[in-house]
Amino acid sequence: MIDWGGLVGPAWAAPGRADDAVDGVVPATVVRPGTVEEVQAVVRAAAEGRQALVASGRGAHLDLGAPPARLDVLVRVDRLARLVDHQAADMTVTVETGCSLACLAAALAAAGQWLPVDPPRPEDTTVGGLIAADLSGPLRASQGTVRDLLIGLRVVGGDGAVIRGGGRVVKNVAGYDLPKLHVGALGTVGVIVEATFKVRPRPAAEEAVVVACRSAREAADAALAVRDSDAAPLWLEVAGAGGLPEGPGAGAAVVVGLGGIGEEIAAARACVQRIAASLGLRAVPVAGGAALRARLGAFPVEPAAAVLKAATLPAAVGDVMERIAAAARGRGTGVRCLAHAPSGVVRAAVAESHAVAPLVHALRPELERHGGSLVIERAAPAVKAGLDVWGDPGPGLPLMRRVKAAFDPAGVFAPGRYVGAL
Amino acid sequence: MLPAALVARLRAVVGADGIVDRPEALLVYECDGYTLERAAPEAVVLPRTPAEVSAVLRLLAAEKISFVPRGAGTGLSGGTLPVAAPVMICTSRLDRIEAVDVRNQRVVAQAGVVNQWVTNAVRAHGLGYAPDPSSQPACTIGGNIAENSGGPHTLKYGVTTNHVLGIELALPSGELVALGGAVEDRPGYDLVGLVVGAEGTFGVVTRATLRVVRSPEAHRTLLAVFDSVDAASEAVSGIIGAGIVPAALEMMDRLIIQAVEAAFRIGLPTDAGAVLLIEIDGPAAGLDVHAARATAVCRAAGVREIRVARDEAERAALWKCRKRAFGAVGRLAPNYCTQDGVVPRTRVPEIVRSIAAVAQRHRLRIANVFHAGDGNIHPILLYDERDRDEVARVRAAGREILETCVALGGSLTGEHGIGVEKVAEMPLLFGPDDLLAMTRLRAVFDPEGRANPHKIFPDAKVCVETRAPRRQAAV
Repeated sequence: MIDWGGLVGPAWAAPGRADDAVDGVVPATVVRPGTVEEVQAVVRAAAEGRQALVASGRGAHLDLGAPPARLDVLVRVDRLARLVDHQAADMTVTVETGCSLACLAAALAAAGQWLPVDPPRPEDTTVGGLIAADLSGPLRASQGTVRDLLIGLRVVGGDGAVIRGGGRVVKNVAGYDLPKLHVGALGTVGVIVEATFKVRPRPAAEEAVVVACRSAREAADAALAVRDSDAAPLWLEVAGAGGLPEGPGAGAAVVVGLGGIGEEIAAARACVQRIAASLGLRAVPVAGGAALRARLGAFPVEPAAAVLKAATLPAAVGDVMERIAAAARGRGTGVRCLAHAPSGVVRAAVAESHAVAPLVHALRPELERHGGSLVIERAAPAVKAGLDVWGDPGPGLPLMRRVKAAFDPAGVFAPGRYVGAL
Repeated sequence: MLPAALVARLRAVVGADGIVDRPEALLVYECDGYTLERAAPEAVVLPRTPAEVSAVLRLLAAEKISFVPRGAGTGLSGGTLPVAAPVMICTSRLDRIEAVDVRNQRVVAQAGVVNQWVTNAVRAHGLGYAPDPSSQPACTIGGNIAENSGGPHTLKYGVTTNHVLGIELALPSGELVALGGAVEDRPGYDLVGLVVGAEGTFGVVTRATLRVVRSPEAHRTLLAVFDSVDAASEAVSGIIGAGIVPAALEMMDRLIIQAVEAAFRIGLPTDAGAVLLIEIDGPAAGLDVHAARATAVCRAAGVREIRVARDEAERAALWKCRKRAFGAVGRLAPNYCTQDGVVPRTRVPEIVRSIAAVAQRHRLRIANVFHAGDGNIHPILLYDERDRDEVARVRAAGREILETCVALGGSLTGEHGIGVEKVAEMPLLFGPDDLLAMTRLRAVFDPEGRANPHKIFPDAKVCVETRAPRRQAAV
């Protein structure tokens, strides 16, 4: 038996309870290390004792991934939450990974800056979770994703050593780009303890324009017309029927986010209105663009049996949304879709649990045939059972297996959670 | 010596015109843009297709022969210097743009496609390929991927890794593997992100799916003239600190201004201490406001004069000066070597002062033309390779500059790579555990260590033959 309390202090180790479960698997122990050294001690002990661990922040996004094949200890890094260094004039920030995005955002906002990634639930989403789950939101349309903003990492590796990759400067090609390895890796190659990002100036103002459309396909086409215009949208979402939490009518829509100084927003708004008029559509400006963005980023707000994430080419978004809707109709379930249109990412909230597996089987092969993917992003363990949540990661899988073996030889980190049962 | 039978088999794969192995013809390949060290391969192989790359690698794998990939040879860190690698695989005949998908903003290019060709292929549709190294009329996509190349406009638009979505990699075993692809968010480790910047140590990149981006509606290009490098550096810090994100923010010091003006005669002030080339782009509606803010910061830093490019021709002339500055340096000395360190952007004034002190201490002339907005310096150390003492002083000065970059919280290289040039400095930046993790990653792709050996990592230094001095061609 490992004396976890001896490693992190007795107050910070406890038996796992039902609400600590990861996809239905309850860990024997939950530890909350308070220092990087304590994380190292926990990983070393786990490696020596052949114990499996899952790292977690506040647990907001643990639904992603397959249920762990084994789970002995849940390592919550929420006590590692220091803002290590914010060099406002350098536009970089270094933060421990237990810090929440809301907390980080508040510190950056004081300098007129932001880390422009906007996943749902920023209060409960930690920096570590952001990286490990590669979370994103509407802003990815213009600001990119975590991999574009992350410039350095400190990670506790499979042997307990702290590995540093990247650095604290915005441009750096010294050595391999190790931070990339951990983005979206779901904690399967190490416990991320500290991250450095480049940050950007916050736009002076945000606004949105909602363009009501007759179909998802029409909305997706209109979105590409906006992308290809001088509106330079900050974000650009396409909603299928019922995809918007509110808005003009229940039909499909394009929602265009605009950011910048007053002159820029005015010109962009006029540009979107011109495009809408030319397509015979109505464009309605909405004040409080940031609030609408947050509401869209929180999709789906209503309860759903599962959230599926389909990735396709930008020009195929409308088609994929219509195919999802048709497949759902055929299986007697409701579905609501919202897409990060320029990125080709479509989210579908499936109402009925019985329809999830048939939908995955109906949609995934066609998406994968064209280089896309379908991931079950969120579903109850009973719904996930018997389903491959990730699908085919492509011909790189043998290399991925070797990556996993190289960085986690003892099989400590979240076994079974990732693609190919890694 | 390569076995004659192997050379014959390689020739059978790539054709008689696809092998270079006469000693005089191999001289072209004995160095890239980094000329302090030279070594010729025993044979250069020029495959025409990814399948030929694969076949070549299978032949080399069977005999456990090491190789070095090479694109156009414009690299600046000796990344294509063959060190204990008898065969060079040159991608220059893999030169097809295979697909242009305007609606999805993707281009599929073979590794030997020249950077500039990608933009040329999509410009008519209002699109461009963002990474724009100064060597873009010559450098290849494969080389850009190996080095994770940048360029002036990466300040706003990102470097190569931000624009590569898929890679086909020929592993050292000869196996071709497609990583990533045209669609974003494919599940699985970001192997594409790992291959970019791996300096050819994972195998040979054969083709890539690139993201092309919409060109901005309008530009304002400003030339701000300062009496001193110090004042210009303060303006750089001020512009970034004020939350302005220029598309580019480049500095040239007096030595460079004089060389560039002698070469191009566009009326640069040769008595100025430094100039900043500031480009602001985006929607036309906001440009005047942003340009006025940048101008105000320059005024506060004591700018002597600000010129605004009145039309596209003037803008092009200013950029020609910047991008051909390295070539113009040929007027200053027979040889030069450029460093590529990075500092946090607010430390630009300090590093520039430190470079001046290093130049004085080592009795060297050092010119500066660099990506100031990124904190990515490019001090150009001038020398004459016939002067062995001066060469030694160049090496010592280069190391001191990099030590200072690291001490200021920066990095050894922003876009040129470690290559052979900076292997000895890697431990300044990374500890044994960090380097061990990287070598483990390398072994995932190249377990036998045959792909571009002796690069990046400080292993037992292999001696590279230094050949007879030769005048450096301007790049």
